[in-house]
Amino acid sequence: MIEKIFSTLIQIALVLLLSPLVTGFNRAFKARVQTRRGPSLIQPYRDLYKLLRKGMVIPETASWIFTATPYVLFVTTLLASLLIPTVSANAPLSLFGGVLAVVYLLALGRFFLALGGLDTGSSFGGLGSSREMTISAIAEPALMLAVFTVAIGAGSTNLSTVALSALGQSWRFLAPSQMLAFAALFIVLIAETGRIPVDNPATHLELTMIHEAMILEYSGPYLALIEWAAFIKQLVLMTILVNVFFPFGLATDWSAGSVLFSLALFIAKLLLLAIVVAVVEVSNAKMRLFRVPELLAIAFVLSALALVSTFLFQA
Amino acid sequence: MHFWQDVLFGNRMITLMAAMVLVLQITMVTQRWLVTSIRAFAVQSFLLACIANTIAYYNNAPHIYAAALFMLVVKAILLPVIFERLVSKIEIRQEIEPLINAPITVIITGLLTLLAYVVAESLHRPDEPMGPASLGHNTLAVAIALFLIGFFMMVNRRKALTQVLALLSLENGIFLAAISLTYGMPMIVEIGIFFDVLVAGMVLAILVYRIRETFDSTDVSRLSRLKG
Repeated sequence: MIEKIFSTLIQIALVLLLSPLVTGFNRAFKARVQTRRGPSLIQPYRDLYKLLRKGMVIPETASWIFTATPYVLFVTTLLASLLIPTVSANAPLSLFGGVLAVVYLLALGRFFLALGGLDTGSSFGGLGSSREMTISAIAEPALMLAVFTVAIGAGSTNLSTVALSALGQSWRFLAPSQMLAFAALFIVLIAETGRIPVDNPATHLELTMIHEAMILEYSGPYLALIEWAAFIKQLVLMTILVNVFFPFGLATDWSAGSVLFSLALFIAKLLLLAIVVAVVEVSNAKMRLFRVPELLAIAFVLSALALVSTFLFQA
Repeated sequence: MHFWQDVLFGNRMITLMAAMVLVLQITMVTQRWLVTSIRAFAVQSFLLACIANTIAYYNNAPHIYAAALFMLVVKAILLPVIFERLVSKIEIRQEIEPLINAPITVIITGLLTLLAYVVAESLHRPDEPMGPASLGHNTLAVAIALFLIGFFMMVNRRKALTQVLALLSLENGIFLAAISLTYGMPMIVEIGIFFDVLVAGMVLAILVYRIRETFDSTDVSRLSRLKG
Protein backbone atom coordinates (compact mmCIF):
# COMPACT_ATOMS: atom_id res chain seq x y z
CA MET A 1 0.00 0.00 0.00
CA ILE A 2 2.73 2.43 1.07
CA GLU A 3 4.75 1.33 -1.91
CA LYS A 4 1.81 2.04 -4.24
CA ILE A 5 1.36 5.56 -2.89
CA PHE A 6 5.08 6.11 -3.08
CA SER A 7 5.30 4.97 -6.71
CA THR A 8 2.28 7.09 -7.62
CA LEU A 9 3.89 10.18 -6.14
CA ILE A 10 7.17 9.46 -7.88
CA GLN A 11 5.43 9.00 -11.21
CA ILE A 12 3.46 12.24 -10.78
CA ALA A 13 6.68 14.11 -10.06
CA LEU A 14 8.46 12.43 -12.95
CA VAL A 15 5.69 13.22 -15.45
CA LEU A 16 5.30 16.82 -14.29
CA LEU A 17 9.02 17.49 -14.42
CA LEU A 18 9.94 15.50 -17.50
CA SER A 19 7.18 16.58 -19.87
CA PRO A 20 8.34 20.21 -20.38
CA LEU A 21 11.88 18.92 -20.91
CA VAL A 22 10.81 16.69 -23.81
CA THR A 23 9.06 19.61 -25.46
CA GLY A 24 12.02 21.89 -24.79
CA PHE A 25 14.39 19.34 -26.26
CA ASN A 26 12.20 18.94 -29.32
CA ARG A 27 12.16 22.71 -29.90
CA ALA A 28 15.88 23.13 -29.27
CA PHE A 29 16.77 20.28 -31.61
CA LYS A 30 14.46 21.64 -34.30
CA ALA A 31 16.08 25.05 -34.00
CA ARG A 32 19.52 23.50 -34.28
CA VAL A 33 18.56 21.58 -37.43
CA GLN A 34 17.23 24.80 -38.95
CA THR A 35 20.55 26.45 -37.96
CA ARG A 36 18.82 28.81 -35.56
CA ARG A 37 20.11 29.46 -32.05
CA GLY A 38 16.69 28.52 -30.63
CA PRO A 39 15.35 28.69 -27.07
CA SER A 40 17.23 26.97 -24.28
CA LEU A 41 16.25 23.49 -23.11
CA ILE A 42 14.53 24.77 -20.00
CA GLN A 43 12.51 27.49 -21.70
CA PRO A 44 9.20 25.59 -21.22
CA TYR A 45 9.81 25.53 -17.44
CA ARG A 46 10.44 29.27 -17.48
CA ASP A 47 7.28 29.84 -19.52
CA LEU A 48 5.19 27.81 -17.09
CA TYR A 49 6.70 29.65 -14.11
CA LYS A 50 6.05 33.01 -15.71
CA LEU A 51 2.46 32.18 -16.63
CA LEU A 52 1.68 30.78 -13.19
CA ARG A 53 2.67 34.08 -11.55
CA LYS A 54 0.65 36.31 -13.86
CA GLY A 55 -2.85 37.60 -13.40
CA MET A 56 -5.48 36.54 -15.86
CA VAL A 57 -8.27 37.99 -17.94
CA ILE A 58 -11.52 36.08 -18.12
CA PRO A 59 -13.93 37.11 -20.87
CA GLU A 60 -17.29 38.51 -19.71
CA THR A 61 -19.18 36.00 -21.82
CA ALA A 62 -17.44 33.01 -20.24
CA SER A 63 -19.44 30.56 -18.12
CA TRP A 64 -18.23 28.05 -15.51
CA ILE A 65 -17.08 25.75 -18.31
CA PHE A 66 -14.35 28.22 -19.18
CA THR A 67 -12.96 28.09 -15.64
CA ALA A 68 -13.44 24.34 -15.21
CA THR A 69 -11.71 23.39 -18.47
CA PRO A 70 -8.06 23.90 -17.41
CA TYR A 71 -8.53 21.82 -14.27
CA VAL A 72 -10.41 19.02 -15.99
CA LEU A 73 -7.88 18.92 -18.80
CA PHE A 74 -4.90 18.91 -16.45
CA VAL A 75 -6.29 16.31 -14.09
CA THR A 76 -7.50 13.88 -16.78
CA THR A 77 -4.18 14.07 -18.58
CA LEU A 78 -2.21 13.55 -15.40
CA LEU A 79 -4.45 10.64 -14.44
CA ALA A 80 -3.91 9.08 -17.87
CA SER A 81 -0.18 9.37 -17.35
CA LEU A 82 -0.44 7.28 -14.17
CA LEU A 83 -1.91 4.36 -16.14
CA ILE A 84 1.14 3.88 -18.36
CA PRO A 85 4.42 2.22 -17.41
CA THR A 86 7.20 4.81 -17.50
CA VAL A 87 10.17 3.70 -15.44
CA SER A 88 8.70 0.71 -13.69
CA ALA A 89 6.92 -1.91 -15.78
CA ASN A 90 4.10 -1.75 -13.24
CA ALA A 91 2.24 1.49 -13.73
CA PRO A 92 1.08 2.95 -10.39
CA LEU A 93 -2.63 2.93 -11.19
CA SER A 94 -2.64 0.06 -13.68
CA LEU A 95 -5.27 -1.72 -11.59
CA PHE A 96 -7.78 0.99 -12.46
CA GLY A 97 -7.71 0.63 -16.19
CA GLY A 98 -5.81 -0.13 -19.29
CA VAL A 99 -5.18 1.55 -22.56
CA LEU A 100 -8.89 2.20 -23.17
CA ALA A 101 -8.97 4.30 -20.02
CA VAL A 102 -5.92 6.24 -21.23
CA VAL A 103 -7.45 6.95 -24.62
CA TYR A 104 -10.78 8.06 -23.23
CA LEU A 105 -9.34 10.10 -20.37
CA LEU A 106 -7.44 12.03 -23.02
CA ALA A 107 -10.67 12.25 -25.03
CA LEU A 108 -12.49 13.67 -22.00
CA GLY A 109 -9.84 16.35 -21.61
CA ARG A 110 -10.06 17.17 -25.30
CA PHE A 111 -13.85 17.38 -25.10
CA PHE A 112 -13.62 19.96 -22.34
CA LEU A 113 -10.93 21.86 -24.18
CA ALA A 114 -13.20 22.06 -27.22
CA LEU A 115 -16.07 23.23 -25.01
CA GLY A 116 -13.80 25.83 -23.45
CA GLY A 117 -12.90 27.07 -26.90
CA LEU A 118 -16.57 27.38 -27.81
CA ASP A 119 -17.61 28.86 -24.50
CA THR A 120 -16.46 32.43 -24.94
CA GLY A 121 -18.30 32.75 -28.23
CA SER A 122 -15.28 34.06 -30.12
CA SER A 123 -15.12 32.88 -33.68
CA PHE A 124 -11.53 31.63 -33.40
CA GLY A 125 -12.37 29.39 -30.47
CA GLY A 126 -15.21 27.76 -32.39
CA LEU A 127 -13.01 27.33 -35.43
CA GLY A 128 -10.26 25.67 -33.41
CA SER A 129 -12.72 23.42 -31.58
CA SER A 130 -14.40 22.21 -34.73
CA ARG A 131 -11.04 21.46 -36.36
CA GLU A 132 -9.74 19.69 -33.28
CA MET A 133 -12.82 17.50 -33.06
CA THR A 134 -12.67 16.69 -36.79
CA ILE A 135 -9.09 15.55 -36.57
CA SER A 136 -9.53 13.60 -33.37
CA ALA A 137 -12.64 11.90 -34.74
CA ILE A 138 -10.57 10.52 -37.62
CA ALA A 139 -7.49 9.81 -35.53
CA GLU A 140 -9.39 7.80 -32.95
CA PRO A 141 -10.25 4.74 -35.09
CA ALA A 142 -6.63 4.44 -36.19
CA LEU A 143 -5.47 4.78 -32.60
CA MET A 144 -7.93 2.20 -31.30
CA LEU A 145 -7.16 -0.36 -34.02
CA ALA A 146 -3.43 -0.04 -33.38
CA VAL A 147 -4.03 -0.38 -29.65
CA PHE A 148 -6.16 -3.49 -30.15
CA THR A 149 -3.43 -5.02 -32.30
CA VAL A 150 -0.97 -4.62 -29.46
CA ALA A 151 -3.54 -5.86 -26.95
CA ILE A 152 -4.21 -9.02 -28.97
CA GLY A 153 -0.50 -9.81 -28.97
CA ALA A 154 -0.35 -9.55 -25.19
CA GLY A 155 -3.82 -10.88 -24.39
CA SER A 156 -4.69 -7.83 -22.29
CA THR A 157 -5.46 -4.17 -22.70
CA ASN A 158 -3.59 -3.34 -19.53
CA LEU A 159 -0.47 -1.47 -20.56
CA SER A 160 1.64 -2.93 -17.77
CA THR A 161 0.75 -6.46 -18.87
CA VAL A 162 1.45 -5.52 -22.48
CA ALA A 163 4.85 -4.12 -21.59
CA LEU A 164 5.71 -7.12 -19.45
CA SER A 165 4.75 -9.58 -22.17
CA ALA A 166 6.74 -7.61 -24.73
CA LEU A 167 9.64 -7.63 -22.29
CA GLY A 168 9.43 -11.41 -22.17
CA GLN A 169 9.79 -11.87 -25.92
CA SER A 170 12.93 -10.54 -27.51
CA TRP A 171 12.59 -9.49 -31.16
CA ARG A 172 8.87 -9.07 -30.74
CA PHE A 173 8.98 -5.53 -32.12
CA LEU A 174 10.12 -7.06 -35.41
CA ALA A 175 6.75 -8.74 -35.90
CA PRO A 176 4.96 -7.04 -38.81
CA SER A 177 1.86 -6.33 -36.75
CA GLN A 178 3.96 -4.43 -34.21
CA MET A 179 5.82 -2.47 -36.87
CA LEU A 180 2.65 -1.46 -38.69
CA ALA A 181 0.91 -0.54 -35.44
CA PHE A 182 3.94 1.54 -34.49
CA ALA A 183 3.82 3.40 -37.81
CA ALA A 184 0.11 4.06 -37.39
CA LEU A 185 0.56 5.25 -33.80
CA PHE A 186 3.39 7.52 -34.89
CA ILE A 187 1.09 9.29 -37.36
CA VAL A 188 -1.55 9.55 -34.63
CA LEU A 189 1.09 11.04 -32.30
CA ILE A 190 1.91 13.69 -34.89
CA ALA A 191 -1.78 14.52 -35.35
CA GLU A 192 -2.74 14.46 -31.68
CA THR A 193 0.12 16.59 -30.47
CA GLY A 194 -0.39 19.12 -33.24
CA ARG A 195 2.94 18.67 -34.97
CA ILE A 196 3.82 20.15 -38.31
CA PRO A 197 2.21 18.23 -41.12
CA VAL A 198 -1.08 18.59 -39.23
CA ASP A 199 -0.84 21.70 -37.08
CA ASN A 200 1.89 24.21 -36.37
CA PRO A 201 2.40 24.77 -32.65
CA ALA A 202 4.51 27.88 -33.23
CA THR A 203 2.06 30.03 -35.16
CA HIS A 204 -1.01 32.12 -34.59
CA LEU A 205 -1.99 32.30 -38.22
CA GLU A 206 -5.77 32.07 -38.29
CA LEU A 207 -5.94 30.03 -41.48
CA THR A 208 -3.98 27.11 -40.08
CA MET A 209 -4.05 27.05 -36.30
CA ILE A 210 -5.95 24.35 -34.46
CA HIS A 211 -4.78 23.98 -30.88
CA GLU A 212 -3.74 27.61 -30.56
CA ALA A 213 -7.14 28.81 -31.78
CA MET A 214 -8.94 26.97 -28.99
CA ILE A 215 -6.85 28.41 -26.19
CA LEU A 216 -6.66 31.92 -27.55
CA GLU A 217 -8.82 33.36 -24.77
CA TYR A 218 -6.87 31.76 -21.94
CA SER A 219 -4.18 33.62 -20.04
CA GLY A 220 -2.12 33.40 -16.87
CA PRO A 221 -2.30 30.28 -14.67
CA TYR A 222 -5.12 28.77 -16.75
CA LEU A 223 -2.96 28.97 -19.85
CA ALA A 224 -0.10 27.44 -17.86
CA LEU A 225 -2.31 24.49 -16.87
CA ILE A 226 -3.44 23.96 -20.46
CA GLU A 227 0.09 24.17 -21.82
CA TRP A 228 1.35 21.83 -19.16
CA ALA A 229 -1.46 19.38 -19.93
CA ALA A 230 -0.43 19.52 -23.60
CA PHE A 231 3.16 18.67 -22.62
CA ILE A 232 1.95 15.78 -20.47
CA LYS A 233 -0.29 14.48 -23.23
CA GLN A 234 2.64 14.46 -25.60
CA LEU A 235 4.70 12.60 -23.00
CA VAL A 236 1.89 10.06 -22.49
CA LEU A 237 1.60 9.27 -26.20
CA MET A 238 5.36 9.12 -26.64
CA THR A 239 5.73 6.85 -23.63
CA ILE A 240 3.12 4.49 -25.06
CA LEU A 241 5.13 4.39 -28.28
CA VAL A 242 8.51 3.75 -26.70
CA ASN A 243 7.56 1.55 -23.75
CA VAL A 244 4.94 -0.66 -25.35
CA PHE A 245 6.90 -1.37 -28.50
CA PHE A 246 10.48 -1.13 -27.19
CA PRO A 247 10.27 -1.96 -23.47
CA PHE A 248 13.95 -2.89 -23.02
CA GLY A 249 15.30 -2.05 -19.63
CA LEU A 250 11.98 -1.39 -17.89
CA ALA A 251 12.45 -1.95 -14.18
CA THR A 252 10.45 -4.87 -12.84
CA ASP A 253 11.48 -4.38 -9.23
CA TRP A 254 12.28 -1.42 -7.01
CA SER A 255 16.01 -1.82 -6.52
CA ALA A 256 17.85 1.45 -7.00
CA GLY A 257 20.12 0.12 -9.73
CA SER A 258 17.43 -1.13 -12.04
CA VAL A 259 15.25 1.94 -11.46
CA LEU A 260 18.09 4.33 -12.31
CA PHE A 261 19.10 2.29 -15.35
CA SER A 262 15.48 2.19 -16.49
CA LEU A 263 15.09 5.94 -15.94
CA ALA A 264 18.19 6.73 -17.99
CA LEU A 265 17.07 4.42 -20.78
CA PHE A 266 13.55 5.84 -20.69
CA ILE A 267 14.80 9.40 -21.09
CA ALA A 268 17.16 8.31 -23.86
CA LYS A 269 14.32 6.59 -25.73
CA LEU A 270 12.05 9.62 -25.30
CA LEU A 271 14.70 12.00 -26.58
CA LEU A 272 15.35 9.73 -29.55
CA LEU A 273 11.67 9.76 -30.40
CA ALA A 274 11.61 13.55 -29.94
CA ILE A 275 14.46 13.77 -32.45
CA VAL A 276 12.52 11.65 -34.94
CA VAL A 277 9.45 13.86 -34.48
CA ALA A 278 11.59 16.97 -34.95
CA VAL A 279 13.07 15.56 -38.16
CA VAL A 280 9.59 14.84 -39.48
CA GLU A 281 8.56 18.38 -38.58
CA VAL A 282 11.55 20.01 -40.19
CA SER A 283 11.39 18.00 -43.39
CA ASN A 284 7.68 18.50 -44.06
CA ALA A 285 5.51 21.44 -44.91
CA LYS A 286 2.23 22.03 -43.15
CA MET A 287 -0.58 20.20 -44.92
CA ARG A 288 -3.72 21.86 -46.14
CA LEU A 289 -6.45 21.15 -43.61
CA PHE A 290 -8.45 19.09 -46.08
CA ARG A 291 -5.47 16.84 -46.77
CA VAL A 292 -5.15 15.89 -43.10
CA PRO A 293 -7.92 13.25 -43.30
CA GLU A 294 -5.91 11.54 -46.05
CA LEU A 295 -2.88 11.33 -43.77
CA LEU A 296 -5.01 9.90 -41.01
CA ALA A 297 -6.61 7.50 -43.48
CA ILE A 298 -3.11 6.17 -44.14
CA ALA A 299 -2.71 5.66 -40.41
CA PHE A 300 -6.05 3.84 -40.34
CA VAL A 301 -5.07 1.55 -43.23
CA LEU A 302 -1.73 0.81 -41.54
CA SER A 303 -3.37 -0.12 -38.26
CA ALA A 304 -6.02 -2.21 -40.03
CA LEU A 305 -3.22 -4.03 -41.83
CA ALA A 306 -1.48 -4.48 -38.49
CA LEU A 307 -4.59 -6.10 -37.08
CA VAL A 308 -4.97 -8.34 -40.16
CA SER A 309 -1.34 -9.35 -40.11
CA THR A 310 -1.55 -10.66 -36.55
CA PHE A 311 -3.73 -13.34 -38.09
CA LEU A 312 -2.00 -13.44 -41.46
CA PHE A 313 1.38 -14.49 -40.06
CA GLN A 314 0.31 -16.54 -37.09
CA ALA A 315 2.42 -19.49 -38.22
CA MET B 1 26.13 -19.14 -32.55
CA HIS B 2 25.22 -15.61 -33.56
CA PHE B 3 21.65 -14.51 -33.23
CA TRP B 4 21.27 -14.11 -36.99
CA GLN B 5 22.03 -17.79 -37.46
CA ASP B 6 18.90 -18.65 -35.52
CA VAL B 7 16.14 -19.84 -37.82
CA LEU B 8 13.52 -18.06 -35.71
CA PHE B 9 15.27 -14.76 -36.36
CA GLY B 10 15.29 -15.49 -40.08
CA ASN B 11 11.62 -16.30 -39.91
CA ARG B 12 10.91 -12.95 -38.23
CA MET B 13 12.87 -11.06 -40.84
CA ILE B 14 11.08 -12.84 -43.68
CA THR B 15 7.71 -12.18 -42.11
CA LEU B 16 8.56 -8.53 -41.64
CA MET B 17 9.75 -8.10 -45.20
CA ALA B 18 6.68 -9.91 -46.52
CA ALA B 19 4.50 -7.46 -44.59
CA MET B 20 6.41 -4.55 -46.12
CA VAL B 21 5.88 -6.09 -49.56
CA LEU B 22 2.14 -6.15 -48.90
CA VAL B 23 2.18 -2.53 -47.69
CA LEU B 24 4.01 -1.52 -50.87
CA GLN B 25 1.48 -3.35 -53.00
CA ILE B 26 -1.30 -1.39 -51.32
CA THR B 27 0.72 1.81 -51.82
CA MET B 28 0.87 1.02 -55.51
CA VAL B 29 -2.88 0.42 -55.77
CA THR B 30 -3.77 3.71 -54.10
CA GLN B 31 -0.94 5.78 -55.48
CA ARG B 32 -1.73 8.78 -57.65
CA TRP B 33 1.77 9.45 -58.94
CA LEU B 34 3.17 7.19 -61.58
CA VAL B 35 6.81 7.70 -60.61
CA THR B 36 6.05 6.82 -56.98
CA SER B 37 4.32 3.68 -58.21
CA ILE B 38 7.39 2.66 -60.19
CA ARG B 39 9.66 3.27 -57.20
CA ALA B 40 7.33 1.32 -54.92
CA PHE B 41 7.58 -1.54 -57.39
CA ALA B 42 11.38 -1.31 -57.36
CA VAL B 43 11.50 -1.42 -53.55
CA GLN B 44 9.04 -4.31 -53.51
CA SER B 45 11.24 -6.29 -55.89
CA PHE B 46 14.27 -5.46 -53.79
CA LEU B 47 12.53 -6.79 -50.67
CA LEU B 48 11.57 -9.97 -52.50
CA ALA B 49 15.21 -10.42 -53.50
CA CYS B 50 16.10 -10.01 -49.81
CA ILE B 51 13.55 -12.65 -48.84
CA ALA B 52 14.97 -15.04 -51.42
CA ASN B 53 18.44 -14.30 -50.13
CA THR B 54 17.42 -15.05 -46.55
CA ILE B 55 15.86 -18.36 -47.53
CA ALA B 56 18.97 -19.24 -49.53
CA TYR B 57 21.19 -18.39 -46.56
CA TYR B 58 19.37 -20.65 -44.12
CA ASN B 59 19.06 -23.52 -46.60
CA ASN B 60 22.53 -23.22 -48.15
CA ALA B 61 20.93 -23.29 -51.57
CA PRO B 62 23.08 -21.59 -54.23
CA HIS B 63 20.42 -21.64 -56.92
CA ILE B 64 18.15 -19.43 -54.79
CA TYR B 65 20.98 -16.92 -54.52
CA ALA B 66 20.97 -16.88 -58.31
CA ALA B 67 17.21 -16.30 -58.37
CA ALA B 68 17.62 -13.45 -55.86
CA LEU B 69 20.33 -11.92 -58.00
CA PHE B 70 18.13 -12.09 -61.10
CA MET B 71 15.27 -10.53 -59.16
CA LEU B 72 17.54 -7.71 -58.03
CA VAL B 73 19.02 -6.96 -61.41
CA VAL B 74 15.96 -7.37 -63.60
CA LYS B 75 13.08 -6.20 -61.49
CA ALA B 76 14.59 -3.89 -58.89
CA ILE B 77 17.02 -2.08 -61.19
CA LEU B 78 16.59 -2.69 -64.92
CA LEU B 79 12.83 -2.50 -65.39
CA PRO B 80 12.25 0.50 -63.07
CA VAL B 81 15.00 2.40 -64.89
CA ILE B 82 13.43 1.59 -68.27
CA PHE B 83 10.03 2.69 -67.02
CA GLU B 84 11.28 5.92 -65.49
CA ARG B 85 13.03 6.77 -68.75
CA LEU B 86 9.81 6.04 -70.59
CA VAL B 87 7.84 8.30 -68.26
CA SER B 88 10.23 11.18 -68.78
CA LYS B 89 10.19 10.52 -72.52
CA ILE B 90 6.43 10.64 -72.92
CA GLU B 91 6.28 13.56 -70.52
CA ILE B 92 3.33 12.64 -68.38
CA ARG B 93 3.78 12.39 -64.67
CA GLN B 94 0.41 12.53 -63.01
CA GLU B 95 -1.23 9.97 -65.12
CA ILE B 96 -2.92 7.33 -63.04
CA GLU B 97 -6.67 7.47 -63.41
CA PRO B 98 -8.24 4.60 -61.53
CA LEU B 99 -11.78 3.57 -62.41
CA ILE B 100 -12.70 3.25 -58.73
CA ASN B 101 -11.89 5.96 -56.19
CA ALA B 102 -9.27 5.56 -53.48
CA PRO B 103 -11.37 4.67 -50.40
CA ILE B 104 -13.31 1.93 -52.20
CA THR B 105 -10.04 0.68 -53.67
CA VAL B 106 -8.62 0.34 -50.18
CA ILE B 107 -11.69 -1.56 -49.01
CA ILE B 108 -11.55 -3.92 -51.99
CA THR B 109 -7.84 -4.44 -51.37
CA GLY B 110 -8.59 -5.31 -47.77
CA LEU B 111 -11.24 -7.81 -48.83
CA LEU B 112 -8.82 -9.40 -51.30
CA THR B 113 -6.24 -9.71 -48.52
CA LEU B 114 -8.81 -11.42 -46.33
CA LEU B 115 -9.69 -13.77 -49.19
CA ALA B 116 -6.00 -14.60 -49.59
CA TYR B 117 -5.81 -15.30 -45.87
CA VAL B 118 -8.79 -17.66 -46.02
CA VAL B 119 -7.29 -19.54 -48.97
CA ALA B 120 -3.85 -19.78 -47.33
CA GLU B 121 -5.42 -20.86 -44.03
CA SER B 122 -6.74 -24.04 -45.63
CA LEU B 123 -3.18 -24.97 -46.60
CA HIS B 124 -1.72 -24.09 -43.22
CA ARG B 125 -0.27 -26.84 -41.02
CA PRO B 126 0.32 -25.54 -37.49
CA ASP B 127 2.00 -28.75 -36.29
CA GLU B 128 4.82 -28.31 -38.77
CA PRO B 129 8.20 -28.08 -36.96
CA MET B 130 10.10 -24.85 -37.37
CA GLY B 131 13.24 -25.46 -39.41
CA PRO B 132 15.12 -24.07 -42.40
CA ALA B 133 12.90 -26.05 -44.77
CA SER B 134 9.68 -24.45 -43.56
CA LEU B 135 11.03 -20.89 -43.65
CA GLY B 136 8.64 -18.45 -45.19
CA HIS B 137 5.71 -20.86 -45.39
CA ASN B 138 3.58 -18.32 -43.57
CA THR B 139 4.06 -15.82 -46.39
CA LEU B 140 1.78 -17.81 -48.69
CA ALA B 141 -1.14 -15.55 -47.74
CA VAL B 142 0.91 -12.51 -48.76
CA ALA B 143 1.84 -14.16 -52.05
CA ILE B 144 -1.80 -14.87 -52.86
CA ALA B 145 -2.76 -11.35 -51.78
CA LEU B 146 -0.11 -9.86 -54.09
CA PHE B 147 -1.47 -11.96 -56.91
CA LEU B 148 -5.10 -10.95 -56.34
CA ILE B 149 -4.32 -7.27 -55.77
CA GLY B 150 -2.17 -7.29 -58.91
CA PHE B 151 -5.13 -8.59 -60.88
CA PHE B 152 -7.37 -5.94 -59.35
CA MET B 153 -4.85 -3.23 -60.14
CA MET B 154 -4.80 -4.39 -63.74
CA VAL B 155 -8.55 -4.03 -64.22
CA ASN B 156 -8.70 -0.85 -62.16
CA ARG B 157 -6.27 1.14 -64.27
CA ARG B 158 -6.88 2.68 -67.62
CA LYS B 159 -3.36 3.64 -68.56
CA ALA B 160 -1.08 1.19 -70.27
CA LEU B 161 2.04 1.71 -68.16
CA THR B 162 0.25 1.16 -64.87
CA GLN B 163 -1.23 -2.02 -66.26
CA VAL B 164 2.26 -3.22 -67.07
CA LEU B 165 3.31 -2.42 -63.50
CA ALA B 166 0.29 -4.33 -62.22
CA LEU B 167 1.25 -7.35 -64.30
CA LEU B 168 4.78 -7.25 -62.94
CA SER B 169 3.67 -6.96 -59.33
CA LEU B 170 1.34 -9.90 -59.93
CA GLU B 171 4.38 -11.80 -61.13
CA ASN B 172 6.13 -10.77 -57.91
CA GLY B 173 3.39 -12.61 -56.04
CA ILE B 174 4.07 -15.75 -58.04
CA PHE B 175 7.79 -15.41 -57.31
CA LEU B 176 7.12 -15.09 -53.58
CA ALA B 177 4.89 -18.18 -53.58
CA ALA B 178 7.45 -20.18 -55.55
CA ILE B 179 10.41 -19.15 -53.41
CA SER B 180 8.73 -19.57 -50.05
CA LEU B 181 6.98 -22.86 -50.71
CA THR B 182 9.31 -24.82 -52.95
CA TYR B 183 12.72 -23.11 -52.63
CA GLY B 184 12.16 -21.65 -56.05
CA MET B 185 11.59 -23.39 -59.33
CA PRO B 186 14.34 -25.27 -61.17
CA MET B 187 17.10 -22.97 -62.34
CA ILE B 188 16.28 -23.22 -66.00
CA VAL B 189 12.63 -22.31 -65.40
CA GLU B 190 13.74 -19.41 -63.22
CA ILE B 191 16.04 -18.04 -65.91
CA GLY B 192 13.29 -18.49 -68.48
CA ILE B 193 10.81 -16.54 -66.36
CA PHE B 194 13.18 -13.64 -65.75
CA PHE B 195 14.14 -13.42 -69.35
CA ASP B 196 10.48 -13.56 -70.21
CA VAL B 197 9.64 -10.78 -67.77
CA LEU B 198 12.46 -8.60 -69.04
CA VAL B 199 11.47 -9.02 -72.67
CA ALA B 200 7.80 -8.56 -71.85
CA GLY B 201 8.61 -5.41 -69.90
CA MET B 202 10.62 -3.95 -72.76
CA VAL B 203 8.07 -4.90 -75.42
CA LEU B 204 5.29 -3.42 -73.33
CA ALA B 205 7.31 -0.27 -72.78
CA ILE B 206 7.71 0.12 -76.55
CA LEU B 207 4.03 -0.63 -76.99
CA VAL B 208 3.11 2.06 -74.46
CA TYR B 209 5.27 4.48 -76.36
CA ARG B 210 3.58 3.57 -79.65
CA ILE B 211 0.11 3.92 -78.14
CA ARG B 212 1.11 7.32 -76.87
CA GLU B 213 2.44 8.35 -80.29
CA THR B 214 -0.76 7.23 -82.03
CA PHE B 215 -3.39 8.56 -79.65
CA ASP B 216 -1.58 11.31 -77.70
CA SER B 217 -2.56 9.40 -74.59
CA THR B 218 -1.81 6.07 -72.99
CA ASP B 219 -5.45 5.38 -72.19
CA VAL B 220 -6.01 1.83 -73.42
CA SER B 221 -9.76 2.28 -73.75
CA ARG B 222 -9.02 4.38 -76.82
CA LEU B 223 -7.66 1.31 -78.53
CA SER B 224 -11.23 0.30 -79.30
CA ARG B 225 -11.24 3.06 -81.87
CA LEU B 226 -8.94 0.94 -83.98
CA LYS B 227 -11.89 -1.27 -84.93
CA GLY B 228 -12.71 -0.95 -88.64
